[in-house]
Amino acid sequence: MKLLFTLFLLTSICCGCAEVKPWERGILAKPHMAPDPHPLQSELRGHTYSSREAGGAGATGSGGGCGCY
Amino acid sequence: MEADVAVIDKKPVALQALTAAALLLPGLNSGPALAAEDDEFSFQYGHYQESDRNLGSGNSSQDILNPVTTNIKSNLPPITVDSLQAHSKLRLTDRIKFEVNFIQDSWSGATPISTAPSSWGGNNFTRLGETISGASPYFATGKPVYFDANRKPVNTIRDPNTLDVIAAEGINSPVHTMAMASPETRQEGNFKLSYEWDDAALSARGGISSEPDFQSRFTGLGLKLDFNQKRTTLDIGASYSNAYTRALIASDIINGQYGKTSNFDNHKVTEDIVGSSNQRTYFTGSREEWGGNVNLTQVVTAQSLFNTGVGFTHSAGYLENPYKYVTTFGLIPVVGSTCDPSEIMYCSAAVTWSEQRPDNRNQVNLSAGWVQHIPLVDAALHLDYNFFHDDWDINAHTFSGDWVQPLGSGWSVTPRIRYYSQSAADFYTPYLVFDNPNQLDSYQFLPSNFSSDQRLSAYGALSGGLTISKQLAKGIRLDAGIEYYTHQGSLAMGVDGEDSFADFSYYLANGSLNVNIAQLGRSLTEGGEHAHHHHAAQHGAPLPAGVMFGHMLHEADAVMVGYRYMYSREHGHLQNGSQEVSDQTVIAQGCNDSNVTCRTAPMYMDMHMHMLDLMYAPTDWLNLMLMPQFMNMDMDSRGLAGIDASEHADHLHDVHSTGGIADTGIYAMFKAFQGYGQNLHVTLGVSAPTGDTAIEMSRVHGADGGYTHYGMQLGSGTWDFKPSLTYSGKLDDWGWGAQVSGTKRMQSQNDSGYALGDNLQTTAWGSYSMLDWLTASVRGIYTTQNSIRGRFNPLAGNIEHGQPTVSPDVNPKQSTADQPGNYGGQFWDLGLGLNATIPDGKFAGHQFSVEWLQPMMENVNGYQLERYGTLNATWIYMF
Repeated sequence: MKLLFTLFLLTSICCGCAEVKPWERGILAKPHMAPDPHPLQSELRGHTYSSREAGGAGATGSGGGCGCY
Repeated sequence: MEADVAVIDKKPVALQALTAAALLLPGLNSGPALAAEDDEFSFQYGHYQESDRNLGSGNSSQDILNPVTTNIKSNLPPITVDSLQAHSKLRLTDRIKFEVNFIQDSWSGATPISTAPSSWGGNNFTRLGETISGASPYFATGKPVYFDANRKPVNTIRDPNTLDVIAAEGINSPVHTMAMASPETRQEGNFKLSYEWDDAALSARGGISSEPDFQSRFTGLGLKLDFNQKRTTLDIGASYSNAYTRALIASDIINGQYGKTSNFDNHKVTEDIVGSSNQRTYFTGSREEWGGNVNLTQVVTAQSLFNTGVGFTHSAGYLENPYKYVTTFGLIPVVGSTCDPSEIMYCSAAVTWSEQRPDNRNQVNLSAGWVQHIPLVDAALHLDYNFFHDDWDINAHTFSGDWVQPLGSGWSVTPRIRYYSQSAADFYTPYLVFDNPNQLDSYQFLPSNFSSDQRLSAYGALSGGLTISKQLAKGIRLDAGIEYYTHQGSLAMGVDGEDSFADFSYYLANGSLNVNIAQLGRSLTEGGEHAHHHHAAQHGAPLPAGVMFGHMLHEADAVMVGYRYMYSREHGHLQNGSQEVSDQTVIAQGCNDSNVTCRTAPMYMDMHMHMLDLMYAPTDWLNLMLMPQFMNMDMDSRGLAGIDASEHADHLHDVHSTGGIADTGIYAMFKAFQGYGQNLHVTLGVSAPTGDTAIEMSRVHGADGGYTHYGMQLGSGTWDFKPSLTYSGKLDDWGWGAQVSGTKRMQSQNDSGYALGDNLQTTAWGSYSMLDWLTASVRGIYTTQNSIRGRFNPLAGNIEHGQPTVSPDVNPKQSTADQPGNYGGQFWDLGLGLNATIPDGKFAGHQFSVEWLQPMMENVNGYQLERYGTLNATWIYMF
């Protein structure tokens, strides 16, 4: 929880220093600046990681399947 | 690419698009359509291929006096997975957005089921002509494993005369015991529905994932809140899932001879096999999972974004992998040996137990990411880190970096690197060692939890990949990606990783097609063209869903994208010609092709087929068409009445499944006549043999299954010529048409030794538009297909467990489904269909059709299972 709190604190500080107006966000709107530019591919790779790795699959509670092989 | 294209070509549109996009920021959960949140349809295919597993350096000889030490790779085919995904995102109203996904994975191949010192011989050679180790679930080898004073397994040297062990020779490294996993298919459907306010959005999602041994249902709620003029976005999510495992326990293990099922009697159910005195036993269990997560995204500068999140998941219930076993040794002091006791102190007996995991697991994820624009080259750098911790004592770190580089002309390239490292679960062990062999007799001596699943060991994984995207005109984007992944114990960070026996690698290739529907509409409007492009299909009446090659594009440069799904089922009585027959007749005559009596017959067979329909018109008289296909099938058999069929020898141990890429169609359509509301066109094409025709049944008791039934193979295996002639007409609300189509196998046999029969189909239909968007159709179909020519090539293999007893041909021959003469016939069907064509609005021109084909009459070749019916469903869109 301490780490979480620190992260939030850092982010709050960040918010304070940024004043990016809506009309200044043209670059952020570019497709390659999207948090995930290839979501379908990420889903496939993520599914593969989660059937091969014990951790880091995320807490999304999706169906995912068993990976029982 | 959308914004880039707009910037270059249409300045006012670009400004509009960017402003609109900016106002949406940072609504950052919607993927690449962030620029305009457009409606889209995507289709993706993925292929996963694992490397051959390392079986260590060991004695590959059966001769214990003359060991042959070699580095051995498993010669069983490694795990491969074929995945396909269809995704659609639609904005239903200004505030309501709907996403839907269909996902299907089919896999087969060999996988580790346990681990033991190599001299234990868990991977024995089993097949004629294959001199190095293959594998079979081989839990009772009878080979002794020797241990030193520190209870470490050692290799040994024997006296050639007395056969006594006289000295130790190095550490006896563990290796995986490999086994073939039966081919299986998983299907998943999920949706997400969102309602958006100006500064907030609420979403609900849910889905079902189904595979033969595992079902799960999941649901979730999400809340998105925007602050600070949308510079800050907070996502809060909660999720719940429940899952049910029902995994067949290999009969080898149930017999207790080769393995034991630990303390799981309350997790076992048994069912009778029809027509057999044998039974199938399953591990069953349910689990539930609750999750919650909070993510925060922050616009840091005009060129950078930051995000961080925390997630928590609690799992409870049956968390075991039902196919993983732990090899357990009981030490027996070596008495009267001449060797040095510090070198060789113990011999051992061994048993394998199904793994046991805790019934609860709490997992925490912490993540942070940064997206930075690099103005010099207009690239985006994505850096992400994730920390994972659970109360099984696994800590994992994931680092990844992507460099997304637009190259102009709609191209972009994305190199990617990822590193993952985890520590081991506190109950992970490659194998167990007990002080006393008596302790092997009962599960009460086992620790409360133990697993040798390599996914719970300590290791690191490094992967790298490349993705190439090309934005075509008309809002169509193609992506192709490849990733190589290597799992190695030595790559673990900060902890001692597992030995190299568990190392493996894989590659994952994917290709996807993304159609941005809203952008298509925009480009047409900008081009000054009329929306009638959307209505290209209305040149004729809508066709019944099951009619292929019925549409032709009549304008040069037009494109059609379609998705077809077909489900067909055989179920009911057995018949010969058009008469129902008794089991006694089938026993006597049904397997005459093989000159044997029949012992089994199918109870049902389900076939699912997915087809992608891609069509392009270079001119107004020629259309080119590409049709990749994916198929999966399930079939269960029964013993015929009066035969006490064996679950083992008659392959009744499990439902038979296959799945993956089927044959690929490549066609050209030529316009012959068009006018007066009528069309006539000719289609010429070939079907390329991309589907597998050498799928084998899995080994049971170490005995090879041979090729699975002809009807369960995924393709024809031959190049096939497929011509057709289609006529269609329309007058007011009435439509009609007819088609003759055929398949001619251009090779006399495929690589497996046979060729499917040629076929000819004639069909005619009539339709009536009840509403301006809804059409009903009636259709008659007559099909004639020849029986199979040739038969499966003999397949040599092992026929008995534990012994290299080989037979020159292990193919199954005592089921009606295994006789080439029991395929094809004459079939009459009636089709009843509905078609909905969206008349206006932004989805104008999309057509959805369904059709049920009801068998009316049939005259089958040989002895076959009755047909139950076929469902066709299609979506097509022309533009």
